[in-house]
Amino acid sequence: MDFDDTPEEASWRSTVRSIIADNREALGRRGAGRGYDDPAARDRQALLYDNGLVGVTWSKEAGGQGGTPMQQAIVDQELSRAEVPGLVNLIGIGMCGPTVIAHGSESQKERYLKRLLRADDLWCQLFSEPGSGSDLAALRTKAVRTDDGTWRISGQKVWTTLAHVSDYGILLTRTDPDVAKHRGLTMFVVDMKAPGVSVRSLRQMSGGSDFNEVFFDDVEISDDERLGDVGNGWGVALTTLMAERMSLGGGGTDIGVGVGAVADHVAARIADLPDDRAAVTRQQFGRAYAESLAIRYTGYRQLSAISRGEMPGPEASAGKLAGTRVARDLADLSVRLLDDDAVFARDSGGDSTWQDSQASLPGLAIAGGTNEVLRNVIGERVLGLPAEPRADKNVPFRETIAVATGGSESAAKGATV
Amino acid sequence: MNFDLDDQQRDLASAAGDFLASSTSLADVRAALDAAATDIAVRPGRDQLLSSGFATITLPEEVDGGGGTVLDLAVVAEQAGRVLAGPSLITYARAAVLLAGDTDRLRALAAGEMKVAVVDGDGPVLDALGAEQFLALRDGRIVIGGGTVDLPDPIDPTRGLGRVTLGDVEVVDGSGDGADAQARWDRALQIGRVILAAESLGAAARSVEIGVAYAKERQAFGRAIGSYQAVKHALVDAYVAVEELRSLVWWSAWAADNAPDELPMASASAKGVAAMASQLAAETLIQVHGGIGFTWEHDAHLYWRRAKVDRFLLGDDVAAFDEVARLAMAGAAS
Repeated sequence: MDFDDTPEEASWRSTVRSIIADNREALGRRGAGRGYDDPAARDRQALLYDNGLVGVTWSKEAGGQGGTPMQQAIVDQELSRAEVPGLVNLIGIGMCGPTVIAHGSESQKERYLKRLLRADDLWCQLFSEPGSGSDLAALRTKAVRTDDGTWRISGQKVWTTLAHVSDYGILLTRTDPDVAKHRGLTMFVVDMKAPGVSVRSLRQMSGGSDFNEVFFDDVEISDDERLGDVGNGWGVALTTLMAERMSLGGGGTDIGVGVGAVADHVAARIADLPDDRAAVTRQQFGRAYAESLAIRYTGYRQLSAISRGEMPGPEASAGKLAGTRVARDLADLSVRLLDDDAVFARDSGGDSTWQDSQASLPGLAIAGGTNEVLRNVIGERVLGLPAEPRADKNVPFRETIAVATGGSESAAKGATV
Repeated sequence: MNFDLDDQQRDLASAAGDFLASSTSLADVRAALDAAATDIAVRPGRDQLLSSGFATITLPEEVDGGGGTVLDLAVVAEQAGRVLAGPSLITYARAAVLLAGDTDRLRALAAGEMKVAVVDGDGPVLDALGAEQFLALRDGRIVIGGGTVDLPDPIDPTRGLGRVTLGDVEVVDGSGDGADAQARWDRALQIGRVILAAESLGAAARSVEIGVAYAKERQAFGRAIGSYQAVKHALVDAYVAVEELRSLVWWSAWAADNAPDELPMASASAKGVAAMASQLAAETLIQVHGGIGFTWEHDAHLYWRRAKVDRFLLGDDVAAFDEVARLAMAGAAS
């Protein structure tokens, strides 16, 4: 057991460090705004790409470096250590790209992948709908093939992160309502600037807007833009979700709230607290800190598996479950330390760091698979517990809609399938 | 990055698991609960633990110890925790550090001629049952000597817990004085916390296993209770806590062997998280079993007893987390 780089890993790490050092100024520092709309953010990603630090694990044919997951993890660690702002096209790289690589045609790969890595194009993932979040396969956005072979899409997506700035998206649709819900789906690449696509930003409880509603009003998509076979959309979506686990499963990074920053905050405030409050604060902080270390070292166990060439399994989701709870504890403690200022959106110094972090946390327990769904996945796939019975299993999708809307014939016809 | 057990350590775990499963059982534990405090026989007992070689893994080879690492001992301790074995490997791990350099006593310890326990202040003494020599920190020195042992009714009969009044003591050879002795005492305590956390890991992991097995079998309202999210999620939360604890046990044991600067933070974190995880796992085990779970006949309360007692050994979780916070604020190595 050790925490050391292998000689190959060490050599790659030093290469990465020197690339970062050589481009230090141009890469910028974290903390200068969110940057989705900022052209400079795309330029930074292009610079990283041109130096071989984006898409490390992607094959050369796909525009990547043909490297290992461990090399990618080292790049992530070094960019984080150097406080380089995060990539702007994370969903594209983490989820959409791997899906195109696995299921796309040669011409789709040619058209999209390199531009995606360079952030010439930004991408989003159009999966969830108002009536189907965790029950993803219950989605209703329909795609109908016309006589000339083009597809017409109508329906609505929601919680679509970065849709408002994206150039393309991967879009999961229902193409056959007469088979069981998982079997009648088909995936497409959609041009987010196409006629009939409209995006409306949703404002989050934190006040910020990262995700959106997306409406499809008779949007035309050429059959060339289909990803995978008709009716195999669920299989394609699983590729995306596996890639998501992979992109979230890399070890050792803070979730939501930086524990080091909280340590500094506690250290700065604790001397002014009466003894009893100081003792309680230390106890609560120590507990959250110890748990954050547990999460970090659990991440290192996953990295070790990646270093051996293994893929993260469903147990990788354990880090998210533990991480969201600890992040809440840390945010709660941090806000409480503001004392009377805690009830204002900005404290007396005009700073809203801790209040903002608190307001972003409920979303963490929902995004990337709700914690309830992740518990089901771990319970069933890791612990081997029996699955929750499913009322809609092997039932044609059209009939499940009829049940959900009261079972009448007219309700079934009126549904958007 | 290679933060994982190696094949040798996995073999060690398997051998230790086989030995312990054949030399103690939960029936023995329950029998101990029914015995008078002075008649309790913890299993597998000092002699068997010594002859197996597991108790003396961290003693040097020159004194007939195993010359192994703290991580090796932690791997065995996890297996001991699974079957609630006693006496604890914590006692041997601490004695190995406190007696370092005192070749005669180490040899006597390894040969089973000297039965020790370690006394922390005025607190309850782990493995006081059957001990004849007691190690303590007195007036800035590490001392050893006889004492009188009082054995009140133990909540957990596998821990050999008692109260000890020290008799005549002498200073341990080569243990130094002042800062040296304190540093050695602290290191022994930290390593003790690592091994305690490893035992908790085993007990908690086993609790989750028993709960999962029952949740797959037991039917209610026409289906297995493990298919209900309320039950499933409770077991998953306990499983997650166990895996987080496993990471801290490995890290803290590794730090004991390789990174002394990290050991204070790692061992305090492991100790505190162990207290929470083992309690959560034991209480979940009971809850999943419903009424059966809190009967005397079911094994669940044996794990619950272990968790409740372990929480207070070697400093409680509040003390451990307070220490973590102080170290974190001081920017300590983590």
